[in-house]
Amino acid sequence: MSTAEDLPVLGAPVDRVDGPLKVTGQAPYPSDVDLPGQAHAALVQSTIAAGRITDLDTTEAEKAPGVLAVLTHHTVPRLPRGPMTSLGVSPPAPLQDDRIRHHGQHVALVVAESREQATAAARLVRVEYAPADPVLDFDDPRAVSVDDPWGLDSHRGDVDAGLASADVTVDAVYTTPDNTNNPLGLFSTLAAWEGERLTVYDATQWPAMVRETLAEVFGVPEVSVRVLSPFLGGGFGAGLRAWPHVILAVQAARDVGRPVKLVLTRPQMFTSVGHRPKGVQRVRLGATADATLVAIEHHSTSLLAVEDDDYEPFAAGSAVAYACPHVVTADRQVRANVPAPVSMRAPAHAQGNFALESAMDELACALDVDPLELRLRNHADVHPALGLPWSSNALRECYAVGAERFGWSRRPARPRSRRDGHWLVGQGMAGVSYPWYQAPSLARVTVTADGGATVASSGMDIGTGTYTVLTQLCAHLLGLPLEQVRSDLGDSDLPEAPQAGGSGLTSALGSAVADACERLLGALLELVRDDPESPLHGSDPEDVVAAGGGLRRRGDPGRGETYAAILARHGRPQLGADGASTPAQPTELGMALAGAFGAHFAEVRVDEDLGLVRVSRVTTVIDGGRILNEKTARSQVIGGVIGGIGMAVFEDTITDPTTGRIANATFGDYLVPVHADVPDLDVTFVGEPDRASALGVKGVGEVGLVGVAAAIANAVHHATGVRVRSLPITLDALL
Amino acid sequence: MRTFEYVRPDGVPGALAAHAGDAATAFLAGGTTQLDLMKDGVLEPARLVDISRLPMRGSTTTGAALRVGALTTMEELATDPTVERRLPLVREALLLGASVQLRNMATIGGNLLQRTRCRYFRDPAVPACNKRAPGSGCAAVTGPARMHAILGVSERCIALHASDVAVALVALDAVVEIEGPGGARRVPLTEFYLEAGGRPEVEHTLEHGELITGVEIPLPPEGTRSGYLKVRDRVSYEFALTSAAVALLIEDGVVRDARIGLGGVGSTPWRPRAAEAVLSGAPATPEVFREAADAAVAGAWTVPGTEFKVELARRTLVRQLRTVAEVTR
Ligand SMILES: Cc1cc2nc3c(=O)[nH]c(=O)nc-3n(C[C@H](O)[C@H](O)[C@H](O)COP(=O)(O)OP(=O)(O)OC[C@H]3O[C@@H](n4cnc5c(N)ncnc54)[C@H](O)[C@@H]3O)c2cc1C
Ligand code: SF4
Repeated sequence: MSTAEDLPVLGAPVDRVDGPLKVTGQAPYPSDVDLPGQAHAALVQSTIAAGRITDLDTTEAEKAPGVLAVLTHHTVPRLPRGPMTSLGVSPPAPLQDDRIRHHGQHVALVVAESREQATAAARLVRVEYAPADPVLDFDDPRAVSVDDPWGLDSHRGDVDAGLASADVTVDAVYTTPDNTNNPLGLFSTLAAWEGERLTVYDATQWPAMVRETLAEVFGVPEVSVRVLSPFLGGGFGAGLRAWPHVILAVQAARDVGRPVKLVLTRPQMFTSVGHRPKGVQRVRLGATADATLVAIEHHSTSLLAVEDDDYEPFAAGSAVAYACPHVVTADRQVRANVPAPVSMRAPAHAQGNFALESAMDELACALDVDPLELRLRNHADVHPALGLPWSSNALRECYAVGAERFGWSRRPARPRSRRDGHWLVGQGMAGVSYPWYQAPSLARVTVTADGGATVASSGMDIGTGTYTVLTQLCAHLLGLPLEQVRSDLGDSDLPEAPQAGGSGLTSALGSAVADACERLLGALLELVRDDPESPLHGSDPEDVVAAGGGLRRRGDPGRGETYAAILARHGRPQLGADGASTPAQPTELGMALAGAFGAHFAEVRVDEDLGLVRVSRVTTVIDGGRILNEKTARSQVIGGVIGGIGMAVFEDTITDPTTGRIANATFGDYLVPVHADVPDLDVTFVGEPDRASALGVKGVGEVGLVGVAAAIANAVHHATGVRVRSLPITLDALL
Repeated sequence: MRTFEYVRPDGVPGALAAHAGDAATAFLAGGTTQLDLMKDGVLEPARLVDISRLPMRGSTTTGAALRVGALTTMEELATDPTVERRLPLVREALLLGASVQLRNMATIGGNLLQRTRCRYFRDPAVPACNKRAPGSGCAAVTGPARMHAILGVSERCIALHASDVAVALVALDAVVEIEGPGGARRVPLTEFYLEAGGRPEVEHTLEHGELITGVEIPLPPEGTRSGYLKVRDRVSYEFALTSAAVALLIEDGVVRDARIGLGGVGSTPWRPRAAEAVLSGAPATPEVFREAADAAVAGAWTVPGTEFKVELARRTLVRQLRTVAEVTR
């Protein structure tokens, strides 16, 4: 049988198969779904950051028009915390006691006939507090810290000796602020109970996890819970947990005996569904005069909620980014009365790479070598910690192609050497080694009587193009035109797939689909081989290919039959097969599992007097292994770069230092790039199919964001001579 | 649910009568300020008097002035031929404001009366805000306050008047035309606004229930050059960190007439008369511009978050004076 290797059509820049649904407004995003008889809910949130509720008076709210129920810690039963997931603990169950752990914590939920009634009544809930003095920042002596939270701290060699042997060292501290994921789609949960059966339409990146969580929290079997998330208005990591508001909507639906819909407001999106936590990082680098790295030391401290966890090893990536004999990386988290952080697109790596790649630029300046040359000289030809060859690595090609496209060789070495009127023009670059991540996945592929096929999985399309690439993949493997393949995704009743996160879904789910296709073809082949009426009767499997909507003799396409004909003759309405994929093991393979690699080259213009920073050009080259769809993959990288521009020069969630209230929780005050801030982005893919993945795919959902902040910061330094080590880089720092 | 009455009277007298100075009544024009604040629970009028269809829309040029009806939208005014020809600073201030969708709704009268963007003011859950709840204190002075004002402020309130076009209009000595139960009156825009230093809750001299019917903009002498510079983090769709509206009449290298408005810095659209005095009769040179800019920001009152604005405002004004005067380095 044929395999993915020799299918040239994979990778074609096919338009999104769900595009027409989306642009005509027919794609059911979570907040678009309505059920007959549904009620609406609105949250009441704490206005202090720490302390206790002393009085919670719902009398007025309950009397307000249309109000059906007000849930508080007095009414909600004791609920268990959700289960441990592969990403860590579940958030604490909501409304369990009178304690306040952060500003914006849910303290009540009002359910009413209409959203407006619920919102109005929510304002009538009177809450009295006994406030405590909140812990809000790293330097609070009362703050509890957690060292090496994930056991990822690393050391090899002897960093002190390495630094001592260095001719040139860099020692600098970098800070990154809180950023908020801010998907455009407001998160929403619609929950409906029918007896003990629960159906939930949720804004989640991980339907299977939400199902498991709700089953556990509400004490019902998993099979009686169905979670649907067929479309999502973005997530950027915010949809990776079953948040307290999801639990509350389900509880409310149980309480009022009707479906309940809860849509968060934009300000609530800042405190309810996670954020990229702020951090402080110290990087020490040492190099010999010939620009060989001899020491990397990277320490990070980031902020964490008081009773929650978050996977955020800022420094870990520095252990494997360069060939270097002496390395220490260490991460620490400090607990504070802040809303829970969560993975935000490229968690930890977005921040860690900013520090490391800024420090590399500082080192290049100190050594007086070209920043690109410094990276090439210290390129990790093998995995620096394992010593194993990479399963794929085209980072050198990323650098070479990027430098060529950008015109890096024409960059003057000295900072502040180019101007255009009152604009100082500078160029900077950064490299990216994104980590490999993969989780097990299942999928089912079915051919149906009409001769077409369906792909089914609980995995969802966060907007990345999962529908499209799975449809493409299945069509190619089964030899069907695209129009005859449909993908059903984002439904927890379908075969379980992991989260749309960690840049791992395409590879995991794609491999499971490929496996299912192979099994399905095997089953079909068995049917025809033993069937005297089939033109393929007695064929050797090696001689049969999937083409033209059915099975054909290799080299003799006239001899064969369609799936529809096969099914019809055997009286079957359909034939399906389950497929699975499991993550590769490096030791078994003798290879280090590679994630995506990339290089960014950025040009900025800085107004000499006013300090304005404008990004005028970015060239990005990505090694994402096999690219299943050039168009959707490019869109992912473009989106990532735009997110990186936001991180570099705009995004900053500001917490009031005394009250813990987020001071800019609106789209008017929290700045993300608008179109006018985004120059034309030049994106190119290089590299070979990855050897450790069945499909050769490496995810590209996050790599595009990582490194942009450093490339821009380095370009700002090149333009102005000013090194800004704190994000976002705004004009205040450049006056 | 909080209900309110909505009325849409015919004609100005009807609107005045429907409002009748009632404390719980508010006018509604484009709604881009009024409705936002109602949704946020900051304003809770019992009655909205919709004036958006009153015959107060459009502009006419008469002799030395442009008269603009209060309901003319920002986008309409920006494309007015007289504005295009004679008032580049007004046009630029309009077009650099908000977004085109908002400019198609937002009216000039509403723009002058827009409320501050201070996030503490706009969130009723914050207890301390002298403007929203007089006497309650000011949460912004101790908080992160990058978008706040440095001129005409005190520890009682550092709220910014965030209008762009008002900055150009104060520089031009525009006059606000008002009709109220007591009849019609005209107030120079420079006397219309009240600084936040005193009673932050009182922002202007318009009596509650009075209607702005129009704005008269005197046209600067022929030969005047003008423009508006808006400095902000994003390229578009953001309020100003600092801005400068500048109109200069320069003859033989000497400034004959200088009009300046500063935005992003004042509790009112700021008219730095001391800076104009420095320029007036002086040679149009960078040194003079710098001296004028120093005078413009004298007396600034800052909190840690706004300190950078003193220097930024100075540089913004110098840059815009140079641009308008076409004085390069
Ligand atoms: C997202 C956003 C971005 C913005 N960006 C900018 C910007 O960059 N620059 C800028 O300058 N502005 C900006 N604005 C503000 C915008 O320009 C104002 O909201 C708008 O001009 C107000 O006009 P309106 O007609 O919508 O007023 P409304 O909201 O209807 O009314 C505003 C106030 O004025 C009163 N009022 C209105 N008309 C009259 C009248 N004729 N007589 C008496 N009282 C009246 C109302 O009662 C109300 O109190 C922005 C607004 C938003 C929402
Ligand atoms: S600056 Fe003015 S508007 Fe803002 S909180 Fe203080 S008093 Fe209120």
